[in-house]
Amino acid sequence: MGVLYCLMSLGVNFIYGIMKVINWAIGEFFMIGAYVQYLLIVFFLGVRYWYIGVLIAALCTFLLGALVQKILIKPMFVGIIEEKMEYATIVTIAMAILFRNLAIFIGGPFIYTPPDYAPPTRIGPLPVSGNNVIAFIGTIIILAFFFYFLKRTWIGKAFQAVSQNRPGVLTAGIDVLKFDMIAFGIGTALAGAGGALLAPVLLVYPLCGVIPTVRGFEIIVIGGLGSIPGVFVAGLSLGIAESLGAAFINPSFVDIYGFGLLMLILLIKPYGLFGKPERSV
Amino acid sequence: MLKYRFNSVGLLLLLLIAIVLPFYLADYWIHSLTVALYYVIMAVTWNLLGGYTGQFSLSHHTFAVIGSYTSALLIIRIGTPLWMGIVSSCIFNAFISLLLGILCLRMRGIYLALTTWAFAEIVKSYIRMDFQFTGGDRGLNTPLFFKTIDPLPYYYLFLAFAVITILIIAIIMRSRIGYYIRAIRNDELAAQAMGVNTVRWKVFSFMVASVLASMAGTLYGHFIGLVSPVLGEFSEMAFIIIFVVIGGMRSQAGPVVGTISVRFLAEVLRKWPEVRMVIFASVVILIMRFFNGGLIEFLRKVYQRIRHGKDGESVSVFQKME
Repeated sequence: MGVLYCLMSLGVNFIYGIMKVINWAIGEFFMIGAYVQYLLIVFFLGVRYWYIGVLIAALCTFLLGALVQKILIKPMFVGIIEEKMEYATIVTIAMAILFRNLAIFIGGPFIYTPPDYAPPTRIGPLPVSGNNVIAFIGTIIILAFFFYFLKRTWIGKAFQAVSQNRPGVLTAGIDVLKFDMIAFGIGTALAGAGGALLAPVLLVYPLCGVIPTVRGFEIIVIGGLGSIPGVFVAGLSLGIAESLGAAFINPSFVDIYGFGLLMLILLIKPYGLFGKPERSV
Repeated sequence: MLKYRFNSVGLLLLLLIAIVLPFYLADYWIHSLTVALYYVIMAVTWNLLGGYTGQFSLSHHTFAVIGSYTSALLIIRIGTPLWMGIVSSCIFNAFISLLLGILCLRMRGIYLALTTWAFAEIVKSYIRMDFQFTGGDRGLNTPLFFKTIDPLPYYYLFLAFAVITILIIAIIMRSRIGYYIRAIRNDELAAQAMGVNTVRWKVFSFMVASVLASMAGTLYGHFIGLVSPVLGEFSEMAFIIIFVVIGGMRSQAGPVVGTISVRFLAEVLRKWPEVRMVIFASVVILIMRFFNGGLIEFLRKVYQRIRHGKDGESVSVFQKME
C-alpha cells in the first residue's frame, strides 16, 4: 500500500512546493476520482476499459482542481487576500466539507463496490488480489510519467523554477499565475487518479478519501514539506514504525504509531527530515 | 463616552434577555441553546488562539474531549467527587497544553496546523482503541452535574460560564497582553524586536484557550451525561472554524453572533444534515473570498448606514485591529 499513498503525498507536496499552500481537500479529490471512475465503468465504459476510466477521472479532477484554483486560490497571489496561510487553510477545509456533503447528498451515504479490474493472480507462491497488483503497477506508471514530465520536459523544468523562486521566474517570462493553476490541477489529478485506481480496493463512499489523506499528510510532514525524496524515505519509515509498533507494543494502536513518529520527528527536526525552513522576507 | 455607555447598556439588555428567555421556550429549544452556548465558549476561545494570536490550532476540540474524559474517568474509576473531577481535568489540561504549546512554538504557520491536527487524531484514535480503559466508541456514562435532565439549570450554568469566558477574553484583549498578542500575529519578528516575549505570550494564549475549552468540554460531558469520541471528530473543529468565520474573525462579538445564528439555522435544517453542511461550507468560502469581516462586520455596516444615512468609511477588520 505504501506506493499508493505516494500519489496523495506527491499531490499535496507538489502543490505546496509551487504555491506554498496545503490542500486539505485532497482526500475529497481522491473521492471524486473514485466516484467518476465508478460511474464510468458501471454506466459507460464497462470494466474492460478501466484504464480509460482512470485517465478520464484524472482529467476531470484536473479540470475541477484548476477551476477551484482559478476561483478560490488565485486571489492570494494577486494581492486581494491579506492572510494567506489562514485563508488557504480555511477555504480548503471548507471545500473538503462541501465536497464530502455534496457526495452524501447526491450519491447517498452508501458504499458502492465497483467490479474487479483483474482476477486474483499469483506472484510466485503468493496469491495476490489482482486489484492490488493493478493499483501498484498503475501507480508506478503514473509516478514514472510524472517524474519524466517534471525532470525532462521544458514545462516540468519551469515548475521546478517556480517552486524555487517566483519573482525570478517572472522575469524569465513565465506566467506564474497560469503555472499555479496547472500545478494545482496536476496535484488534484494525481489524487483523482489514485482514487480511480484504488476504487475496487478501498471501495467508493463519501469518506473514502480520509484514510489515504491521513497517511499522505503523515508522510509529507515526516519527510518535510515540498521535498520529493522525503516522501519516499518517510513512507518507508512510516511503514517500519507501524509494523514494529504492532509487533512489539500493541497491534490495536497501529494508527497511533505513525502520529507518534510524526510528533517525534517534528520535535527533533521542526521542518521534517528533508524540509527547509520557511524563508521569511 | 456616550457610545461606551450605550454599549454596556445594550450588553446588559442582551444578558437580561438571555436570562429571561428560557421561561418562554420549550425544553427542546433550551437544550439546543445550551449546546449553542457550549459552542460559543469553544468559538470564542478559538478566536483568541486562531484569530488574535494567529496560532492556527486544529486541536481545540481535542482539549474539550480530554477534559471531559479526564473528569469522567476520575469519577468512574477512582470515585472522586464531581467538583474534584472538574478541577483536576482543568489542571491536567493546563499541563498538556503547556507541553503541546512548547512543542509547537518551534514551528510556524502550516506546521503548527499539521502538528495540532496530528495530536487531535492521536487522542481520538487512542480513545477509540483502548476499549477497556476509555470505553471505546461506546463512550462513558458520566454523572450529571445537577442530577436531573431538565435543561434549565444547565442553561444557566453554561450562560454564566460563557459570560465569564467572554469577559476573560475581553479583559485580556484590552490589557497590555492583548497588544502583545496582536503584535505577534501581525509580525512576529517585529514584535520580538520590540521586546515582546513572543514565546511566553504564545504559550499563554494557547494555555488560556485550552483550559477554557477543557472546562467547557467537561461541563458539556456532565450536561449530556455521555462522553464519546464523536466530540473528537475533525468535523467538530470544522464547525468551530465555521462559527468563527461566519461570525467574523478577530472581533469580540463575532464568534458569539456566528455561533448562535449558525446553530439556530442548523436546528431549523435538522432534517437535511448534508444540505446544511453544504450551505455552511459555501457561506464560509464566500465570506473568506469576498467579505472578510463576517456577519458582525455586515451588521456594523448596516448600522452605520442607518445611523449616518450614507456608507461609512469602509474599514476592514484587518486594519481596524480592535
